[in-house]
Amino acid sequence: MPQPVKSGAAPRVNDFVVKFANVNGSGSASANGLFARSILRMGVPVAARNIFPSNIQGLPTWYEVRITEAGHLGRRGGVDLMVAMNPQTWDRDLAEIESNGFLFYDSTRPIPPSRFRDDIAVIGVPLTAMCNEAYELPRERQLFKNIIYVGALAGLLGMDVSAIEALLAEDFAGRDKLIRANVEALHMGLDHVKQNLAPLPLQVRQADAVGDRIYVEGNQAAALGAVYGGATVCAWYPITPSTSLAEAFTAYCQDLRVDPDTGKARYAIIQGEDEIASIGMVVGAGWNGCRAFTATSGPGVSLMTEFIGLSYFAEIPAVIFDVQRGGPSTGMPTRTQQADLLAAAYASHGDTKHPLLLPADPGECFEMGALAFDLADRLQTTVFVMLDLDIGMNEWLTKPFAWDDSRKLDRGKVMTAEELEAGADFGRYKEVDGDGIPFRTYPGTHPTKGGYFTRGTSRNPYARYSEEGAVYVDNMQRLLRKFETAKTLVPAPVLKPAKGKTKDGVIYFGSTSVAMDEALEILEAQGRRLDALRVRGFPFAHAVDEFIASHDRLFVVEQNRDGQLRTLLMTEIGVDPSKLVPVLHYDGTPITARFIAGEIGQLLSLGQIEAAE
Amino acid sequence: MTYILKPQLHHPKLPTNGLGYTRRDYEGSVSTLCAGCGHDSISAAIIQACFELELPPHRVAKLSGIGCSSKTPDYFLGNSHGFNTVHGRMPSVLTGANLANRELIYLGVSGDGDSASIGLGQFAHAIRRGVNMLYIVENNGVYGLTKGQFSATSDKGSKSKRGVVNHDAGIDMVSLALQMGATFVARSFSGDKAQLVPLIKAGLAHKGAAFIDCISPCVQFNNHPGSTKSFDYVREHNEAVNRLDVITPRDPIHVDYKPGETVRVQQHDGSILSLHKLAELYNPNNRAQALGYLQARQARGQIVTGLLFVDPDAGDLHDSVGTVDTPLNQLGEAELVPGQAALAAINASLR
Amino acid sequence: MPEPAAAPNGRRVALVGAGPASLTVARDLAPLGYEIVLYDQDAKAGGFIRSQIPRFRLPEEVIDEEVGFVTRLAPMDLRLGQRVDSLKALLEDGYDAVFVGSGAPRGRDLDLPGRQEAAANIHIGIDWLASVSFGHIEKIGRRVIVLGGGNTAMDCCRTSRRLGGTDVKVIVRSGFEEMKASPWEKEDAMHEDIPILNYRVPKAFTHEGGKLTGVVFEVVEAVYDDAGRRKLVPSGQPDEHYACDDVLIAVGQENAFPWIERDIGLDWDDWGMPKVDPLTMQSTNPRVFFGGDAAFGPKNIIWAVAHGHEAAVSIHLFCEGRNVAQRPPPGASLVSQKMGIHEWSYDNDVSNDRRYRVPMREKAEALQDVRLEVELGFDRELALGEAQRCLNCDVQTVFADKLCIECDACVDICPMDCITFTEEVDEPELRTRLKAPALNLTQDLYVSGTLSTGRIMVKDEDVCLHCGLCAERCPTGAWDMQKFYLETTQAEAACLSR
Repeated sequence: MPQPVKSGAAPRVNDFVVKFANVNGSGSASANGLFARSILRMGVPVAARNIFPSNIQGLPTWYEVRITEAGHLGRRGGVDLMVAMNPQTWDRDLAEIESNGFLFYDSTRPIPPSRFRDDIAVIGVPLTAMCNEAYELPRERQLFKNIIYVGALAGLLGMDVSAIEALLAEDFAGRDKLIRANVEALHMGLDHVKQNLAPLPLQVRQADAVGDRIYVEGNQAAALGAVYGGATVCAWYPITPSTSLAEAFTAYCQDLRVDPDTGKARYAIIQGEDEIASIGMVVGAGWNGCRAFTATSGPGVSLMTEFIGLSYFAEIPAVIFDVQRGGPSTGMPTRTQQADLLAAAYASHGDTKHPLLLPADPGECFEMGALAFDLADRLQTTVFVMLDLDIGMNEWLTKPFAWDDSRKLDRGKVMTAEELEAGADFGRYKEVDGDGIPFRTYPGTHPTKGGYFTRGTSRNPYARYSEEGAVYVDNMQRLLRKFETAKTLVPAPVLKPAKGKTKDGVIYFGSTSVAMDEALEILEAQGRRLDALRVRGFPFAHAVDEFIASHDRLFVVEQNRDGQLRTLLMTEIGVDPSKLVPVLHYDGTPITARFIAGEIGQLLSLGQIEAAE
Repeated sequence: MTYILKPQLHHPKLPTNGLGYTRRDYEGSVSTLCAGCGHDSISAAIIQACFELELPPHRVAKLSGIGCSSKTPDYFLGNSHGFNTVHGRMPSVLTGANLANRELIYLGVSGDGDSASIGLGQFAHAIRRGVNMLYIVENNGVYGLTKGQFSATSDKGSKSKRGVVNHDAGIDMVSLALQMGATFVARSFSGDKAQLVPLIKAGLAHKGAAFIDCISPCVQFNNHPGSTKSFDYVREHNEAVNRLDVITPRDPIHVDYKPGETVRVQQHDGSILSLHKLAELYNPNNRAQALGYLQARQARGQIVTGLLFVDPDAGDLHDSVGTVDTPLNQLGEAELVPGQAALAAINASLR
Repeated sequence: MPEPAAAPNGRRVALVGAGPASLTVARDLAPLGYEIVLYDQDAKAGGFIRSQIPRFRLPEEVIDEEVGFVTRLAPMDLRLGQRVDSLKALLEDGYDAVFVGSGAPRGRDLDLPGRQEAAANIHIGIDWLASVSFGHIEKIGRRVIVLGGGNTAMDCCRTSRRLGGTDVKVIVRSGFEEMKASPWEKEDAMHEDIPILNYRVPKAFTHEGGKLTGVVFEVVEAVYDDAGRRKLVPSGQPDEHYACDDVLIAVGQENAFPWIERDIGLDWDDWGMPKVDPLTMQSTNPRVFFGGDAAFGPKNIIWAVAHGHEAAVSIHLFCEGRNVAQRPPPGASLVSQKMGIHEWSYDNDVSNDRRYRVPMREKAEALQDVRLEVELGFDRELALGEAQRCLNCDVQTVFADKLCIECDACVDICPMDCITFTEEVDEPELRTRLKAPALNLTQDLYVSGTLSTGRIMVKDEDVCLHCGLCAERCPTGAWDMQKFYLETTQAEAACLSR
């Protein structure tokens, strides 16, 4: 006879947080993913996040799934159901459970009562014992244990088992034996809870809140964006959390970029010997008329800065996907942050600045992933696409990818052999129409015209070496005009006005956005009104200046210690620092709605805002 | 250094090649290197080689790093695109450029500082990837632009102009290239164009990673007694293993040597390398033997020059990557952008 | 100019003709104390340059000034307007030496059918020019044909344009390119709307009632034999007749010495010219020296001056009782031009400019007056531009074997491929081994001694631009640019300017 779980919790449908605490390398990731995707299949949005160590096997890893029919895709904060599968983190995992929350654990080994909490309900399932009974091989015991707990959870949460079975069939299509074995394990868990336990007050119900949205990692989306953006050369060096971007690009190219007649590749992907070589290849390919990119993270950007300066000064298109992780130095390689903003914006010595694109979800990773190549060609410089680990390595529910088939790749100002032949005056670094962008030629264009020598040293408009002060200053001023032009080309900021008039505003970007959306709802519910501006590109469009000018007080919410977006706003727009109030989250976990609402709420209720410093 | 331009006037009998260009058409700006620099002779040899090979000058892309040697691409092939990159990183830029357009001819020019010190890694990796290029190291064993410090190729025991003795072992670029899998390896001397020009021609015509270590005395800082890279020292210790003639498919074949003394090797582009043996036992088709021979001669203080190794059937990076024949930089929307239909299928797979 | 002599040396020299050759002899000998007696049939000194070169090319003031430089050197006995009729008589006057610089005064005539009948309108060009020069002739017919292709023909046609000729043609036997006239003289003539018709050999003068009506020409073409010699052969086209009012014959000048007796120990050659030693300018009569057009037929003023200098040396040696064949050597010096790493004390930048034309007076104005100089001369900028074109042939590339390290820098930089380092072989073989073969056999090769690798440096001087880049790129100074200064041999004291 099933035993109801003793709980003081009110029933909650389609709005709670489940967190899995696992050991890295135990095969839990696919089972946890299966759990989340099954809920999606039931028409209920999920927001899932991997929290994993810089390690292959044996260290703690977590997977947090927010089930949210309301569509809050950011982290809420707090856990309603902890699936505690890692004894090493038991205590802190338990501590994270909300009051009146639930603990699910492997009850094979008895755990003294002192290790539990009084204010939570505990569900024990003897997973290991069940496995030992059913399986011979240690590896099988380990892997199927994960599926068994998914089955158990499905029973406890009232999930649609057929959705899970359908996913298993899709994932292992053609491998019937594997499908059968997984379904068996699933039912082992399901049957166990049906026989021994009653459903929890936390329930998943069929809904229709997902729509046509897709569920995808930002890295994968950005890689697809690169394919659609016409990138042909990718040179990269493995570094978490960007590796999967290059790998996804490889996979997509193998599908989409093979000449059907010859079977040959319309792309070249090189794993460089390091980040320096990778960006070097990108610069070489860009110089020679290809759309080329590299994917890296903060430490890679540090290594690449010399080449980024060359790209800026010699005006060579390049695209860098910086999937940000916790810094500085090696920092927190598997945790998320938005802490490369300044390093990217001003990468390299001397006076340099570079356009940044700031996607907020995988959908934008795709769009900006493609757009970056148009901008790099148009502006003849390095363009950064600033992902972070949260967007890059987590599957997000996002709008489906779309492409206008009439769209053309913008190759920018490239002078052709015909134009040269017709006598066009070609000066590689010559201003032609006031936008600061000169014409370039691809190597090998014309036998006697349009050739030039590219160099990182100062030169005149016709690319001849010159260290004359006036010539140098003219060139640097033109580069500034070009940067001014970039303001009109990077994606415009998105304004989310408050429901009524307010002099308070909030500025944010990237992966903070989903938590911010929810935080704004929370604050609104508290009667706190904020106009919100999501910045999507650097240099800042004039709309950013106007937004700041039209508010008295602006909270700048970001995921780093030093308020890097705030610094950029101060530096580039010249905003009075006291007007920009930093709201900073930088512990390596994705920012939560509760954190933002709490911080801003507190600051607002304090009635006075201290000058930022 | 001169500030007047080299007069455009040329010898009335200056020959033209099959493209109608004279050798002068392959020149660049006037060198700003020190008078007598070995590097200028190498530039002249490159000019001569490109003229003789009848290369359309604009179809050559010349890349370099930083340093005296890396300045030289400005001084030849004035109609070609050149790229003076950053210190020690030319190999990666060249690799990327090569990926973008497989139809151009890639000439990397570097020095011993650029390639044996800061750029040793990139040098090795470009070679092991088999990038289709000719990579010339203008090796003077000294940092010229910073006025005379030892470089990584300075021989142990050699003396600087100021009398300081080098205690670090010298890096032998030729042995390194052989170990890294270069499919064309040669060493020559800037003071011997008769040897150098055919080697450059053969290297340019070679498919795969071709490498020439060209000893190039620094007249300012490394041409004194005690140097092992001076004109006198190199001339005294030069041990040429063979003499090369490059016969392009257009050239009439005429044989100067007795049979048995000459090895003929046909390269990918149809050019024939006719190698006249000078060292009886030397076989340029055996990598392991080449390495052994080099080591043995080096131990005797000799500088082995000539075409040291060639694999005429070598492939290149494009073969490994399997790229299409059309240069990647010439592909357009139709070939590159899969379109909305493909996207619809991808969306469906992500639900 | 040399200083006048402090005192006479007691020797007298007669100069026959007061043209450039004689004036040069006077200029060299007067400072040595010689008493100069200068004869000329005309009233003013200058000779050919005064009588035949039209004023619109060489104004009279210039001639007066230049002649004055010489005649002021010493109190000379100028016997102008005094024609010498007998050399024998002159010799008997006790001169220590006689210099004959009487020029080649007689223009060649064309003895063609009609020559006599139409004589009134057929003129010997050179005589006609003299008459114009002295103001005896002021007009010519409207239609003029000038026969001949030398500079005199050019002077004749352009003078005709100034004396009423509106339809003036030059008609010449040879091809246009082979004409003796300097290219710029031809240019100037054509600029004045004078067509030049070539490959037309005059056959006859046509006339009617004793008046010239035109000239008949045979049309020919040039045929070259195996040795490359040109022959003009009839083209087979019908003869052409050109109508005209006057003909000027400018087909060359003949020498004529009716005033020199044949029994004074002076030998003649088959062409009626005196036998003159080309080095010493001495005739077979040791007291008689020749120079200018009188010596070897018509040349130009520069040659005339050179002859004068050589003759002066000989006369002085002769008068001193020394061997005229043992001539004092010319002075020569070489001075390094190096100033800095890339700075030379001569202008080494090679100009690619074409020749600048001398600005000329408006055509309409120029044709109004036969005495108006056509060339206006260069202004400062043009003169500088034209001077920049100088190839600095006086600045020599000098090579020091011992300093050379055989780095090839000079070979690589030389724009003309002049320099080669190679094995030592015989010259004919060597000429083919150079970077660019040296085909001009009249130009010696510059060959170094053996260098340290056993090779030699060979330089083909034929095409050298004297740009100095070899020396600039030479790390050891083995190449140097050195200015060569030559002082031609002149009669003793006249050389004191060095």
